Amino acid sequence: MNRNYYILTAIMLILAIGTVFIHERKYTSELPASELLWDILQPSRFVTTDQVAKRIIEKDPSLLLIDVRPASEYNKFSLPNAVNVPFDSIETATGQQYFGNPGTKVVLFGDDGILANRVWILLRRLDLKNNYVMRGGLNEWIETIIQPKRPKQTDPEISFEQYNFRRAARLYFTGAKVVTGNMKKEKVVFKKRKRAAVAAGGC
Amino acid sequence: MENSIKKNNEKYINPYLGGVLLGIVMLISIFISGRELGISGSVRNTVVETAKVISPKAAENSTYYKKFLKKDTSPMSNWLDYEVLGVFLGGLLSGILFKRIKKPFIEHGKSITAKRRLIYALIGGILFGFGTRLGRGCTSGAALSGASTFSYGGVVVMFVLFGSAFAVAYFFRKLWV
Amino acid sequence: MGPLVLNGFISSNWNLLIAVFIGMAFGFLLESSGFSSSRNIAGVFYGYNFVVIRVFFTAVIVAMVGLLYMGYFGWVNLSQIFILPTFLPSMITGAVIMGVGMIIGGFCPGTSFTAITIGKIDALVFAIGLYIGIFFFAEGYPFLEKFYLSANLGHVTLADVTGISLGWWALIFTVFALASFWITASIEKKVRKRIKDYKF
Repeated sequence: MNRNYYILTAIMLILAIGTVFIHERKYTSELPASELLWDILQPSRFVTTDQVAKRIIEKDPSLLLIDVRPASEYNKFSLPNAVNVPFDSIETATGQQYFGNPGTKVVLFGDDGILANRVWILLRRLDLKNNYVMRGGLNEWIETIIQPKRPKQTDPEISFEQYNFRRAARLYFTGAKVVTGNMKKEKVVFKKRKRAAVAAGGC
Repeated sequence: MENSIKKNNEKYINPYLGGVLLGIVMLISIFISGRELGISGSVRNTVVETAKVISPKAAENSTYYKKFLKKDTSPMSNWLDYEVLGVFLGGLLSGILFKRIKKPFIEHGKSITAKRRLIYALIGGILFGFGTRLGRGCTSGAALSGASTFSYGGVVVMFVLFGSAFAVAYFFRKLWV
Repeated sequence: MGPLVLNGFISSNWNLLIAVFIGMAFGFLLESSGFSSSRNIAGVFYGYNFVVIRVFFTAVIVAMVGLLYMGYFGWVNLSQIFILPTFLPSMITGAVIMGVGMIIGGFCPGTSFTAITIGKIDALVFAIGLYIGIFFFAEGYPFLEKFYLSANLGHVTLADVTGISLGWWALIFTVFALASFWITASIEKKVRKRIKDYKF
């Protein structure tokens, strides 16, 4: 027989013996500290309240708002169509299903920016991407969108554009649908996706 | 080997090369789509589709068709159909490249007539088709793909399929030898 | 990172185009390896042509070993790929029926499709038979359902069932396949001397 077949047989055997010694990689998927630090320093992980308001008004289907405050506060007031995932249930399976879905941008917010920021770091450490923090949280939301301040005459023109947008947005958020504690909250319907998708198949 | 190719006038690629490439195609399929090769599922889809066209009501009431009618919304469900379309194109390409495409003809052993060969082909097809559904796939979908991904059922199907063929081969030797 | 489609690297629309290309490679290899001839396929069971064993087992061991390395290098998340579910009673019965069908018909579904493309009428008839067979199954499903779904073990691998790691199984299969290549090569030589009418 051909000498090449001896060589090929040997190569295949060596490769197969190699498989005995390798171990399947465990997918705990935790980000190394250096990468986490790098990502924390990126300013692009923050979004402003104006950006969020614009996305909400445009009814962006890829936007998912996550309220990280406790459920009691969420029931009093929250952003329209926001989902409540209290910060202490982030690591549970029900909490996890919202994060890391392809094609979805998750915006986290709390009362101020701090809690949401912590949650962001936790999620990033679990190697979940496409999460953003709303800078300033709901306090900032009230100050900018719900009660926008009139710009001074000396301010640049862009402030006036911003002000006009905020006024219009204010109308959108407070005029048509007022979300208050007295109103009965509608249940938010969100299409859930299993996190680790397994291929469907079969012959 | 070299001799045999000349005698037969058929250019087949080296079987080991073919096997290695087939294995790599399988790995690429797994790497990209997370799923493996298959054929018979697509024939099943055709049966389901025909049933839907001929009598939609009966199809909806049948427990078997119902299972696959629902899935139609998911784009993954017809992955196999596209793959089988590719199998046709690939076969055609190879046939053209190696000049094996001929006018329609019937290949049969010397001891049987063409007509008998067709009858046997039909019976064999019916049996095979029935078997694929019980076995969750054919030689490619269950045996080849299943065994490649270490599926217990796939390995069992592979050995039982070849074993059963060996066991009955003696009784049908007239067809081939 | 892989499977690319499931982890959002490639959209699922591209997936279907990729399916066509993967199928093309599959069909090309089946045809060019000689699987479009039923006599080549049936030859394995009479000892005059082992091309089926060679292509089939080579593909299996390459895929097995390759899969484990891909998992090790982190290219594919092995928990995301499709594992054929196991239903022993119905799968064994199905495999026995398929084996008989393969000897009588001389093809399996994939090979019959490639044989159709090069103009074999027997392959076309076989494919029609497949269609009828599956139709019979679908019609008879109410009677078979219990048997069809019995003893569901789920998506189990050899490692789950035996407790022996997949690496060892890959090695066992590789040794088995390589041995069979060397043995069949010598059988083929002996048998071919006896058969004269079939050209090799």
